[in-house]
Amino acid sequence: MPTTVPIAEPLIRENIVRAVADVFKTMLGRPVHFQPADAANAAGTPPPSTPTFASRQVVGTVGFLGDANGLIYLYFDETFASQCTGGMLGMDERELAEAGPDAVNDAIGEITNMVVGSFKNGLCDAGFPCKLTIPSILRGSNFSVEPTGSAQRHVFRFDCRGHRIVADVLLKSED
Amino acid sequence: MRHKILTVDDSKTVRMILRKAFRPFDCEIFEAANGVEGIAMAVKAAPDLILLDITMPVMDGVEMLTRIKADPQLKAIPVMMLTAEGGREHVLRIAKLGVRDYIVKPFKEDTLIEKAARIIDLMPVTDGSGRQRSTEDPADILVVEDKPAIIHQIQEGLKHTPWMVHGVASQAEAVELCTRLAPDLVIISLSLPEEAAFALFRKLRTNPKTKFIPVFGLVVKTETSVQNQAQQVGFTLIVTKPIDLPDLEARMAKAMNLDTSLRYFKFEAEFLITSIPENCSTSVLAEIGQYLQPKLTEAVDSGHNKVVFDLHPLRSINLSTIKFLVQAMQACRDLGMNYALIGNLQLIAECKGLEETRYWNFYENLADAKTHLAKAAAVPTPQPVEA
Repeated sequence: MPTTVPIAEPLIRENIVRAVADVFKTMLGRPVHFQPADAANAAGTPPPSTPTFASRQVVGTVGFLGDANGLIYLYFDETFASQCTGGMLGMDERELAEAGPDAVNDAIGEITNMVVGSFKNGLCDAGFPCKLTIPSILRGSNFSVEPTGSAQRHVFRFDCRGHRIVADVLLKSED
Repeated sequence: MRHKILTVDDSKTVRMILRKAFRPFDCEIFEAANGVEGIAMAVKAAPDLILLDITMPVMDGVEMLTRIKADPQLKAIPVMMLTAEGGREHVLRIAKLGVRDYIVKPFKEDTLIEKAARIIDLMPVTDGSGRQRSTEDPADILVVEDKPAIIHQIQEGLKHTPWMVHGVASQAEAVELCTRLAPDLVIISLSLPEEAAFALFRKLRTNPKTKFIPVFGLVVKTETSVQNQAQQVGFTLIVTKPIDLPDLEARMAKAMNLDTSLRYFKFEAEFLITSIPENCSTSVLAEIGQYLQPKLTEAVDSGHNKVVFDLHPLRSINLSTIKFLVQAMQACRDLGMNYALIGNLQLIAECKGLEETRYWNFYENLADAKTHLAKAAAVPTPQPVEA
């Protein structure tokens, strides 16, 4: 069993911001802007540390195992998830409706796989070799994911032309 | 030859993206969702290229690659890895197993196509149906010329065609347009500053999407050195200014490999109408001649045995046209078809005065010719219809 060593927050932030921006720009042709955690919202309230959403969400999850162990959840609202799927596969609304939710699940799973793969490659190059797990998808509304006590949590928010994307990075902090 | 590409990835999304990326090219795509299926498909389809993911259930890409390289039947198939696993050590390990190339996700379609084109020749598809495109189909023509009057002249000269002529003034604009829209033909002014025409030509020829597009050079007649230079580097054709637009249009159609027969032949009910254009040069006659026999055969096959040769646009007749028509009428007789000629009064008078054509019978309009041909259809022995 490899020993898990702490990974500095700037390394995590730098890699997840780069990974999300790269994947969205390359695969979807959409610019993504990182919104730092200390940025207050329009009402002057800082965002909560745990992602919670009232609207229906499609959440992709991919883990990584090795000298760094963890999971990343990538949150999309359902409408945006469909838009991303259509953009990536060149499908219009009618074709997406015909393809059903499986097409969206598969596309969001792949986007998450690419984001976490890119994030993980950054960790590998920084001396934390690890491998990816297979993607899975979570769908629903009014839910939250809570880590166990031994996990470090880092939540990063992004804006993509008015749509919010949240990357919830959970790292195992010790053996 | 149509290339076969096998994509092996457990993500249907990635397989769809790959299928979409190769859609503009003449290749057949096979798919597999893991290494086991991938090997089975490779044996069955004998692909020219395998695009292989690494992290897959059942059998991962590394194991599939190892097995392929150990199999005498499969080991020569080039493999390109396409994966989210991009750590330096990982890439080096995979490279040692004998992959031809490696793409880390996320990837741009252009990068994928560029790398694939280094391994196999990717030819653009002409039409999804396999039908040869004709002069009635739309086409995108890019004219790169810093003189707006020339662009305007070409646009005006081709406005009767279904072709869309896009005019740009610089190399940068041309490259940008080519990435958005692969044109069917490009015309570049060879007098663009700083030899931009040649730089653009090289770019077009190195991009798989534009590699096979016909490229014409446009230059004034006296600039022979630049014409020679353009011919040497491989421009499809040199067009000289002032532009002979009908000639340019004919050459464009030929370069785009369009079926031009619709300009000269059309079926109207049971009649095959063959139109001889005003600009009846030797090359035009040769072009009509190459379609004549197949069109007559098609007419007979469809049960139509009446042909009208419409010479109305001709103001005068020359020896080449006479020879062509003599051969065409003989071909009709050989196939047992009835035929009639229509022409204007000036042409009819000219033909009456020539030894070779003095016995030709003309009708003044299509309706008369059709009426007489319809009557002649009842005559058992095919013969020229008397006016």
